[in-house]
Amino acid sequence: MQVINDLLARLPFATIEQHDKEYTVIVPKEKLRETAILLRGLRVKPAMTGIEPLAPAVTDTEARVPATDTEAFATATSGFEFDYLTDIVGMDYGEELGVIYFLSPSRYPSYGLILKTSTADREKPEIDSIFDLWCAAALYEREVYDFFGIVFTGNPDMRRLFLRQDWNGYPLRKDYDANPALNPVPTNNEALADMENLPTTSIDINGERLKEHTKLFETEDYVVNFGPQHPATHGVLHLRVSLDGETIKKVDPNFGYIHRGIEKMSEAYTYPQILHLTDRLDYLSGTINCHATCLCVEKGLELEVPERAHYIRTIIDELTRIASHLLGWGCMAMDMGSITAFVYGMRDREKIMDIFEETCGGRLMANYSVIGGVMQDIHPNFQKRVKDFIPYMRKMLKEYHLLFTGNPIARGRMDGIGYLSKEHAISLGATGPTGRASGWSNDVRKIEPYAAYRHADFKEMLRTDGLTFDRYIIRLDEVEESLKILEQLIDNIPGGAYAAKTKAIIKLPEGEFRQRVEAARGEFDVYINSRGDKYPYRVKFRSPCMTLVNTLAHIAPGTKVADLIMLGGSLDYVVPCIDR
Amino acid sequence: MFHFSVVTNWIDEFLRAYLPDVWVLLIEYVLIGAVILGVYAVLALVLIYLERKICAFFQCRLGPTRVGPWGLLQSVADMVKILLKELIKINRVDPLLFRLAAFLVIIASICTFGALPFDEGLLVVDFNIGVFYLLSVSSLGVVGILMAGWASNNKYTRIGAMRSGAQLISYELSCGLAMMTIVMLSGSLQLSEIVSQQSETWNIWRGGIPACIAFVIYLIAGHAETNRGPFDLPEAESELTAGYHTEYSGIQFGFFYLAEYLNMFIIAAIATTLFLGGWQPLHIPGWDAFNTTMDFIPPVLWFFAKAFACVLLSLWVRWTMPRLRIDQLLKLEWQILMPLALIDILLMALWVIYF
Amino acid sequence: MSYIKSIIVGIWRLMQGMYITMLNFIRPKVTECYPENRGKTEPLGAMRGELVMFHNENNQHQCSACGICQMNCPNDTIQIITKMVPTGEEGKEKKALDKYMYDLGSCTFCSICTISCPQNAIEWSKNFEHATFTSPKLVNQLNRAGSTLMEKEKV
Repeated sequence: MQVINDLLARLPFATIEQHDKEYTVIVPKEKLRETAILLRGLRVKPAMTGIEPLAPAVTDTEARVPATDTEAFATATSGFEFDYLTDIVGMDYGEELGVIYFLSPSRYPSYGLILKTSTADREKPEIDSIFDLWCAAALYEREVYDFFGIVFTGNPDMRRLFLRQDWNGYPLRKDYDANPALNPVPTNNEALADMENLPTTSIDINGERLKEHTKLFETEDYVVNFGPQHPATHGVLHLRVSLDGETIKKVDPNFGYIHRGIEKMSEAYTYPQILHLTDRLDYLSGTINCHATCLCVEKGLELEVPERAHYIRTIIDELTRIASHLLGWGCMAMDMGSITAFVYGMRDREKIMDIFEETCGGRLMANYSVIGGVMQDIHPNFQKRVKDFIPYMRKMLKEYHLLFTGNPIARGRMDGIGYLSKEHAISLGATGPTGRASGWSNDVRKIEPYAAYRHADFKEMLRTDGLTFDRYIIRLDEVEESLKILEQLIDNIPGGAYAAKTKAIIKLPEGEFRQRVEAARGEFDVYINSRGDKYPYRVKFRSPCMTLVNTLAHIAPGTKVADLIMLGGSLDYVVPCIDR
Repeated sequence: MFHFSVVTNWIDEFLRAYLPDVWVLLIEYVLIGAVILGVYAVLALVLIYLERKICAFFQCRLGPTRVGPWGLLQSVADMVKILLKELIKINRVDPLLFRLAAFLVIIASICTFGALPFDEGLLVVDFNIGVFYLLSVSSLGVVGILMAGWASNNKYTRIGAMRSGAQLISYELSCGLAMMTIVMLSGSLQLSEIVSQQSETWNIWRGGIPACIAFVIYLIAGHAETNRGPFDLPEAESELTAGYHTEYSGIQFGFFYLAEYLNMFIIAAIATTLFLGGWQPLHIPGWDAFNTTMDFIPPVLWFFAKAFACVLLSLWVRWTMPRLRIDQLLKLEWQILMPLALIDILLMALWVIYF
Repeated sequence: MSYIKSIIVGIWRLMQGMYITMLNFIRPKVTECYPENRGKTEPLGAMRGELVMFHNENNQHQCSACGICQMNCPNDTIQIITKMVPTGEEGKEKKALDKYMYDLGSCTFCSICTISCPQNAIEWSKNFEHATFTSPKLVNQLNRAGSTLMEKEKV
């Protein structure tokens, strides 16, 4: 594409590779920020002015860097700015520590750009922060810092994200010492940076480094802990909320209470073994995660998967999506006090669980996809059960609408609350139904049709208002669309083998492989870096839920306590997916 | 018609025949106290069982099935469990207020319960200001709730208590105004007098449209006063874990729990007394045969049947609707119910004058 | 006027919701009484209850103790203890299964063992009542006492 080529021509210092619609740009770390601003397509404000608060407002038109001639260029490329930061992946290349940024222009979502940079300094690695360019970056950078110890200069909040603040070492580095004596089981409470200062490193106007601190909460703030043991945080999530009466002033999410180190574990597992962990990320869209990992490995192996397996996987994915949305609907209703709706959602989800139990063997942890296909052929009852389920679900959807959608109390609660603009959603990387409710077309099933989605005719549900009600109703609409996909596929499952033959020991060729899929809550990416071994060198799962919690922190201030819970329900995050 | 006064009068005469007046009074006091407490506890058990079973049915579940046939003894088992539970000592609470709060809530509830006219003669004290007494005693509970929230030294309980204070005090207004409407119709504050006036037609018919409006207002406001259903903000479990009683355990929690269920019944019973004719059987003017048949059903049964019908309605509403937000809750009271109740009083005045 | 209309519509919507709950009030209930319905309903289809080893009527199993399942298992759930048994020929010994230990406590039911087993010796049973009072009881020996390797049919 000409615009991208023009854009990249302005980066003389960068190494650029093009592979179809995917560009890889490698820049030295000094030039990272400049490149990022150019790619973001921002107009530039002369000089930086101090440190912004923890959660920066969306800086659509301004960024704090020295002025260059980017301004004129930004107008020329408008519409082709890489405004969607999918993920930031930390890497330990052995000698160097690197960071990989996955970018995509939201208007041309099938294009992708991989921005790489690295630093040779393993003792005090520092890379410029881009937290003010993409809202999503602040948390991603904290994650990279947590696992690799790379300090992002300028990010006002460089606390560890998942591990305890007093953890020794950076676990995803290859030279990490896992000796339990270094990190004994702690018996004391974690000292949370409550009123204290946050660790940051920042650069002042003259480019000199200085240690600065920003405050999370003021001393007089009324800070309430929502979680980790709270009935409505959908898992062990810890939200620290400062209140003014009932009105929320600030939300600070804390993760890591269910951190299992799945990415670290994966480095010691063979590829088939990794698959049993992926179901445990976002357990409500487990089969989709498993499917994504299989697709990624198959991409690397260049393995031809039988069409039958594609169809079965797609049907299972869509069933999972329905089940997940039903639970999401029910949980949101329960967060708003309607427990009956929750039970109805669970009741109808149970039908899908029965289908899974019969065909896959597991109800929640289906572990159904394997590399090359699916684990076993579908049960003889499978098609009949799915066909029975479709009209049943349609009928139940009508009841849901009567029971809850139309309820004036529910509407009164949802209308006009929690506005998320399209630009904000993109900047936050709030994919999935949340982004689509704000009018951001981000359905990976449409952008890069995988498995059998190219054979199905379905609409991407889009709404424009970006309010809580839109996020609520879009899930029910998506259930409707999923039913349509099921209807089209269920009778057309082709015959043949259900899995391709694979070698006993699967070795991925050297290289990087990435697969995007549309999980129930948004884009789920698998990134595998292989060195030709039977174990991966690095595995990264993009969690759609982490950005959703970040979104909550951005849209909740100004609403009431009751709305915070409801907004959480409308974003529908799953905590094990965040913590991994 | 069998009235319970037969039994009470017989007991009274029996005692008076053998004992001096002082002893009679003493024994009767103890007897009444025991009966009230007994009925209170039994009713609570019945209500808890009913709620659990009915909520289960609304949710397409079976509900309790384990203890006893159809789980009938489930709430007894719960009661035993709650009695055996440890009272957990919590650091840094205000010990006096913390303990007092639970008692205050239940005392307010029992006091209200004691003044209900279950039947002719089955009434502890027949105040001539009965309605006023009910209103004033039932609003004592909010003090307990505020105390509990404050003394627990917990941020959730504090928010819960503040919500509760705002909610109860607001809804007390329209609740009282709705009751005043009936007082205007009856011209009396005495509960027995109000009930006996309804022997032919219940107030809800006698008072026409104003009484109907008052009835609806009373049901909504009363429901809000029980902290249940769409108005359960003070304990909103998805927001404040358990609201003002988060820190309570064992029987202290049990007191709140009992009071909550009994308040539901009390609200239903007051609605019955004021609007649905109390213990009076259903009479339709002109249908003499029907009326005589109805008279055969004991008045106590009538009273409980009507009260439980109101309770069922409250349960049905509770298990259907989502919770309101605090500003919507106050808006409903101050912008809709209160003005409506005031207009309704005016209407009732016109009704009383012209009909 | 629209204010009154909105109130009426609101009440109508509330009634619709209450109609739905009442509808479910009279519907057959979906929950079951679990210990009572034991034996009446059983887990469906491919349900993975716990790992068992297939034995035929002569108390023979198919496990050749190759160890592939043990190697593939992500959680060290399977431990194969082998012994040397004499073959029919004079003075020669062959590796055979002594104990097939399966730790239910660390099993994640990923089914990699069953699909990777070249002999199809292990399979899933539908038993889902796993609870025990002590964790050592979760470690089971899957091959039965005195069982031997099934003779392969010569084709």
